[in-house]
Amino acid sequence: MAAKKKRTPNTQNDSWVVIAADSVTETQKQDCDPDFVKLRNPSTEEASLYLLGAGDAQLYEVKAFEEDFHSWFVGQTVQRDGKLLFVTQMDPLYLILPYMIKSGQEGKFQPVDQVVKDDEFPASSRLLRCTRSLTSLHHIAEEKEVGGLKFHRYSQERTMNWLQKKVERTIVALKKKNICVGEGVKSTTYVRVKSESDDREEDYLRYAHGLISEYISEELSKALLKHLGLPELKSPKETEPPSKKRKLSDKPVEAGEDYTKFNSADFARKPPKKMTAAQKTLAKVDKSGMKPMSSFFSPKTKAEKK
Amino acid sequence: MDLKQFEADNSGSFRLASRIPDVCRTEDCCLGVDEAGRGPVLGPMVYGICFCPVSKKEELKDLKVADSKTLNEAERENLFQKLDEAQSYVGWALQILSPNMISTSMLQRTKYNLNALSHDTAIGLIQYALDSGVQLKEVFVDTVGPAEKYEEKLSQRFPGIQVTVRPKADSLFPVVSAASICAKVARDRVVKGWNFAEDLGEIDADYGSGYPNDPKTKEWLLKYLDPVFGYPQFVRFSWSTAQTLMDSKAVPVHW
Repeated sequence: MAAKKKRTPNTQNDSWVVIAADSVTETQKQDCDPDFVKLRNPSTEEASLYLLGAGDAQLYEVKAFEEDFHSWFVGQTVQRDGKLLFVTQMDPLYLILPYMIKSGQEGKFQPVDQVVKDDEFPASSRLLRCTRSLTSLHHIAEEKEVGGLKFHRYSQERTMNWLQKKVERTIVALKKKNICVGEGVKSTTYVRVKSESDDREEDYLRYAHGLISEYISEELSKALLKHLGLPELKSPKETEPPSKKRKLSDKPVEAGEDYTKFNSADFARKPPKKMTAAQKTLAKVDKSGMKPMSSFFSPKTKAEKK
Repeated sequence: MDLKQFEADNSGSFRLASRIPDVCRTEDCCLGVDEAGRGPVLGPMVYGICFCPVSKKEELKDLKVADSKTLNEAERENLFQKLDEAQSYVGWALQILSPNMISTSMLQRTKYNLNALSHDTAIGLIQYALDSGVQLKEVFVDTVGPAEKYEEKLSQRFPGIQVTVRPKADSLFPVVSAASICAKVARDRVVKGWNFAEDLGEIDADYGSGYPNDPKTKEWLLKYLDPVFGYPQFVRFSWSTAQTLMDSKAVPVHW
């Protein structure tokens, strides 16, 4: 291991392990490479990582598989971060949609390059250069052509029809891949022994709606649910009565049923110890709504300590 | 003793055995079990059995086999030679447990401790003798852990065989001494000719006895500590000596 001695300590490894189709890196023109860009996530409105193919022809989303206790051996190096990134094709319309909706509130027909503009994410305008962008705008907006110039206005009706088609296509894909969707299925990779036939059509519809909802705003997701004719599910949190607040006191905490103390000779309760000034101030803090100390001791943190 | 096959792949457990003497298949036999290399942080642990007809016990004594610890290396080699030459009535078998196998057993998800590993290896060797047709009537074992418990375990496992487990059995019963010589010789040869699976270049083979309290061993362990991988497979990772060094000098790894 000749290279062993040369190893520089604590070099930050900034490489990624990525899975992508060959077509992502294939470039027709030599001068332009695929480009990682930050764009506004249509569901969370936060920054997310995307990849624009060579010449901005195609949009890809970047998703990370990330679990505790993983790392990579890459060639002759170790990568601490065991993340696995997936670069998968994505319809740019999902990212254009929020801008369209925003400008649609004014109710005017506008040139699309004025609509898709974001000072925070300057790369947004490149979305319009994607091959499918301009030709598919009619799925989410009405079009008007005046003197060779095109103008667009957001249409909720068209968008709903477009999203419904997306849901239908997703259902086809779900069925093809034998993905379990029924109630009580906790994991998509769960393999069911019984036949698939007990997955009802509504389960597929709901599941596909859930998947599409990861690409649209919450508001739009609710509208789509109505459009699909699905009743809203009440979240179990709302149906349960609010949990009782625990009363806090300065008395020493004791186990509810600690019988061992009766076994000891001196089971007389010890007076609470004197507190330091810092402890006193801490004790005065309003603790209502705080998590109990025990909730912080999950196995994960234990392992981290090691 | 042909160790080539083990040296080709020294990552697991390997059995090496003599031919079974014909007389052992027809006459009542006694068998001794002993081990070498239980304590060291380096190298394998070797289990040995030696067996001969009960009627030949005296002849075994005449070979002057004695507790391997009282002999030097040349004397042990010499005695092993004699034992091997007495193949008309003496048979032996060895189980070499590589350091890698010891590490992975002790550190796996469901822990397999050294005592259990030792007991199972001894049982495996006795069973091997039985399977080979050796007419076992008496078995003598140098103890691992409390002797009574171990004796009970072995007696239950091998009904119909008189099992005797004693501390220091290797100085009490010649057949155990013979087993201890076989085991010790094998261990010495394996350690001496250790074939490092790792590409370490020109390796410094001056690692002393391999016992944790040997300063040479400690020095060697410090020298060959890799921050990412820890040690070559020659080192028992499950030993606290190795673990302490890795905890303080190597990169932390969370499982």
